[in-house]
Amino acid sequence: MSRETFPGPHDNGRQKMIRLALIGQAKAAKSYGAIRTRLHRAVWAAFVPLTASDGQAGQALGQVTTAPSTEVLFTEQANDFDAVVIDADPGQAAVLAKAAAAGKPALASPLLADIAALGQADTMLMPAHTWRFLPSIQAVKRSLDAGKIGEPGLLRIHRWLPPEATPESLTERILPDADLACWMFGGAPEKVWTLQTPSNPEYIQFHLGFANGGMAMIDIACSLPAGGDYFSLSIIGGTGAAYADDHHNMNLLYAGDQPNALRASQGHTDLAGQLQEFVDAIHEQRQGSVLLKDAMRAIAVTEQIIESASSNHVIQQKENS
Amino acid sequence: MADLRKKFRVAVLSVVKHDYLPHAVAAHPRFELVVVTDDADQPDWVHERNQRFADEFGISYLRDIAKAIAEYELDMAVVSSEAERHCDLAVRAADAGLHVIADKPMSTRLSECDRLVEAVQRNNVKFLLWNRNFLPAVIQAKEVIQSGAIGELHAIHVDFYFSKDAGPPKGTRQLGDPPINWLERQLKAHADGSDGGVGIEAMGELQIEGIYPLGYIRMLANANVRRVFARTATHFHQVNVDNHVDDLASVSLELDNGIVGSLCIGRTGAASHPDIGEIKIHAIGSKGGIVITEARPEVSIHYRDQPPLEFRNERIANENDFLLMDDFARALDTGCEPILNAKGGRDIAATVFAAVESGKTGQPVEVTH
Repeated sequence: MSRETFPGPHDNGRQKMIRLALIGQAKAAKSYGAIRTRLHRAVWAAFVPLTASDGQAGQALGQVTTAPSTEVLFTEQANDFDAVVIDADPGQAAVLAKAAAAGKPALASPLLADIAALGQADTMLMPAHTWRFLPSIQAVKRSLDAGKIGEPGLLRIHRWLPPEATPESLTERILPDADLACWMFGGAPEKVWTLQTPSNPEYIQFHLGFANGGMAMIDIACSLPAGGDYFSLSIIGGTGAAYADDHHNMNLLYAGDQPNALRASQGHTDLAGQLQEFVDAIHEQRQGSVLLKDAMRAIAVTEQIIESASSNHVIQQKENS
Repeated sequence: MADLRKKFRVAVLSVVKHDYLPHAVAAHPRFELVVVTDDADQPDWVHERNQRFADEFGISYLRDIAKAIAEYELDMAVVSSEAERHCDLAVRAADAGLHVIADKPMSTRLSECDRLVEAVQRNNVKFLLWNRNFLPAVIQAKEVIQSGAIGELHAIHVDFYFSKDAGPPKGTRQLGDPPINWLERQLKAHADGSDGGVGIEAMGELQIEGIYPLGYIRMLANANVRRVFARTATHFHQVNVDNHVDDLASVSLELDNGIVGSLCIGRTGAASHPDIGEIKIHAIGSKGGIVITEARPEVSIHYRDQPPLEFRNERIANENDFLLMDDFARALDTGCEPILNAKGGRDIAATVFAAVESGKTGQPVEVTH
């Protein structure tokens, strides 16, 4: 986990294209296929569908070989790819262990496995925190890192989801915003306080206290009707503020009755940015910008948020990681 | 049957900060300012401001409240003093049988709020705590929620950031400099109208402005706050640091009826927003949600050589002042309660005090009702 450099894909001093394998469902192949022409210094080489009916989905990625299983990929086809992207639910945890055992750099969900144990491996593992790569979030973080808005004081996030966009587990729902808060403040919170409504246990609101008076107030609702979601993030700093807010980015559609709001799209830049960072990190033989310890910290805070909700107590951070 | 032609005769009991309140009273056709009055033992700056306001309206300024009440056949009093005197002046007016409108915050002490609630009830007079519940966007939020469009209300959140400066930034006090005196700073701030915390007792942003967003929440959720958990900080202004009061706070709210909510509030500095600040209401229900910008409707105006501190967006169709006074006239005519009466104001103040305590202890605090 403490390693900062990894073996790079060099061939007699010449940099070569990274050959990527995707383990995922048809939906993932379609998403990555839509951005494949944006990728620098990497190509898709292999695809492993997680369900048999998705066998043809790899065509979206271009000219790739389709492996019938992850066992085949990591044994018989191990020489056909350099790194692996694992887009799978936590039930597929063993896949990540195979990638580590095969010495393949991996981009994977932070909830996929015993991530701490895998961090001891010699291969690079970059947790997939796609939410960090949204253009709006990147712009906010850049302003913070550049010192434009000063010391972060108060982070506010509203995330409201319709049923079709709602992750099944509470942990999956909370983790992205717990991570964003830790990322913005550069550490884990000292205090965690959570509320849920008795009338709707699917709703959760958490209040995080960081060092130096920093604070975050975040609510996640899953009760929007089918259709669009809503996301708003603002951060108040000591010398300025940044607002990444769907409310600001709405256009109007007139088609009878009241006008409808149309959100200006941020496209697929989040997915493309994350994948390129993974590829660049491999080329440059460095850690990815999302570290294993970031994922572990977000998971720990998420657990504290849930613990506060169930215990009705303020959770004090034991270790300020 | 009420006489709708009756004009209520109003005394202004001290007018030492921004004078929007007595101006709003005077602007309504049912009310007439007839005298400004205050206690004789007040400092010179108080008398100067009272006199200036009396001169503006061409009415007398008496340095004797009892005498003014005895001589001017008053119906009501408007209190716009320092916060620590709000309740005492209001109680004295109520004990004289006068209806009362008081500026926010209700008081710097909950015991004073309780004393006022008791006086209003005992004297059977009406009391209105000044608020912003009739802003067009707030009315719209209320209509949407009451219509059932978002279903059963689950949670309500308000951001209430004033992007104003408050003297030197945090960290600018030099070694050996004395701490900034709260009252002196507030007196200087009178020039630009940012002296909402005027008085001897220092108040944080939660105490000074918390009434407004908590007033929205109380009205929209139709419930009192039962318990709070708060984080408070001095993040921006040296005067807040020197006087140990917050300028940034976040409060988790649990309401009596099971609804939860939150308030994020701060005096975030002029650089943090192109206008007066981000002020928003988010409400989420069983069938949907609504996002309201409190400033709307507004008109954007930009021009060459525009002063940097002039707001680029101008609120329009804001009838809050008129509607508050209309509401109070209705209360006086019919005996109904105004939109935010003494008990309601007291309960909001109790929420604020609980939040301040929670900010200090780091633990949830029950709100006493």
